[in-house]
Amino acid sequence: MGNKNSKITSQDRAILDLKVQRDKLKQYQKKIQLVADRETQIAKEALLKNNKRGALLALKKKKYQEQLLSKTDAQLLNLEQLTQSIEFALVEKEVFAGLEQGNLILKEIHNETPIEKVEKLMEDTADAIAYQNEISEALSGKLTSEDEEEILAELDQIVKEQLVDKLPPVPEQIPQQQIPQEQKAETKQPQKENKQLEAALEAA
Amino acid sequence: MENSFSFPSIHNFPPFYTLQPTQTTWQNQALLWSEIILSYYKHHKLYRLNLSESLNSELFNCQEIRRKLKLDTLQAIIDTMVYRGTAEWDSPSKKDSAIIYWRKPEDWANLINNWVLETGMSNSIVTVYEIAHGDSSEGFEFHGLDQTILMKALDILVKKGVAQTFQGTSTDDMGVKFFGMNG
Repeated sequence: MGNKNSKITSQDRAILDLKVQRDKLKQYQKKIQLVADRETQIAKEALLKNNKRGALLALKKKKYQEQLLSKTDAQLLNLEQLTQSIEFALVEKEVFAGLEQGNLILKEIHNETPIEKVEKLMEDTADAIAYQNEISEALSGKLTSEDEEEILAELDQIVKEQLVDKLPPVPEQIPQQQIPQEQKAETKQPQKENKQLEAALEAA
Repeated sequence: MENSFSFPSIHNFPPFYTLQPTQTTWQNQALLWSEIILSYYKHHKLYRLNLSESLNSELFNCQEIRRKLKLDTLQAIIDTMVYRGTAEWDSPSKKDSAIIYWRKPEDWANLINNWVLETGMSNSIVTVYEIAHGDSSEGFEFHGLDQTILMKALDILVKKGVAQTFQGTSTDDMGVKFFGMNG
């Protein structure tokens, strides 16, 4: 206690005071509740002894204590609301401080990058790109028309080679049996027609 | 006592109630007694042992075999527990009452710190009363913790730099501000 007081603010102490009050009220309520329960017991005992007056007194006391209880309930609620309001206000304060700090840093960063400088930079970049394009053009322009013709010739050559590669290989022998049936039928039909024609001619 | 504690069978062994003269036997006897005391106190969530009073309790007074521990024997047992760090005399000169540490103050400190983290109470103010008796600690193991042990546990948290105890402006009651992790 007291060695690192800097971490404890006056708000902390105020909140502690409120919370201590809350604890005390709760303890007080416990006590009252016990007393009130005891009064019921006393009333019952008094009735057993036919002491109606005593019983009535005990119940009256109990009623009074119950009123006290409900009053302290209201006080407790007040205390807790106040404590929570303070705690919430503190949270809000911290959020505000956080936003302020963030805003400050954002401004600092913006100060480091003034708009004129950015524009200048963008211009420079555009110049650099244009210059780069010029270099590229200059370099590609150095190829002569002869070179280009050679290149085109080589391209044609490659295209031709690829075409040849794509053609199916020519079979070395054509096996007899592999002639399709239909083709045979087709070759036979004209023979039949020929015979018919011949027959017709002979008949004529 | 709501649910009764089941004593180990040695508790019904008559010589267990007499201080054994042989050194090694006595050391073993004291260790067994301290284990019974610790588990009994843990079972019933007790923290304070008043010697003259508890000599008549079921812990040190076995009705079944009509044996009872003597005051000086119990003091000798507590002495060995103090040596091992599982107990502490309230007043080492009187030896009439002791705190029983069935959980070390460091462990209590950790439990409290975890509770603070879990319930999001970092950076908020908590009363010392609230930690041991408040609604928010209900159901946690340290609910109902002995004030002396609680203060020791809080001291540990303060030394670690995760908490700060302080007094209010108008009251003497202590409060704690928890800073969260970094321990």
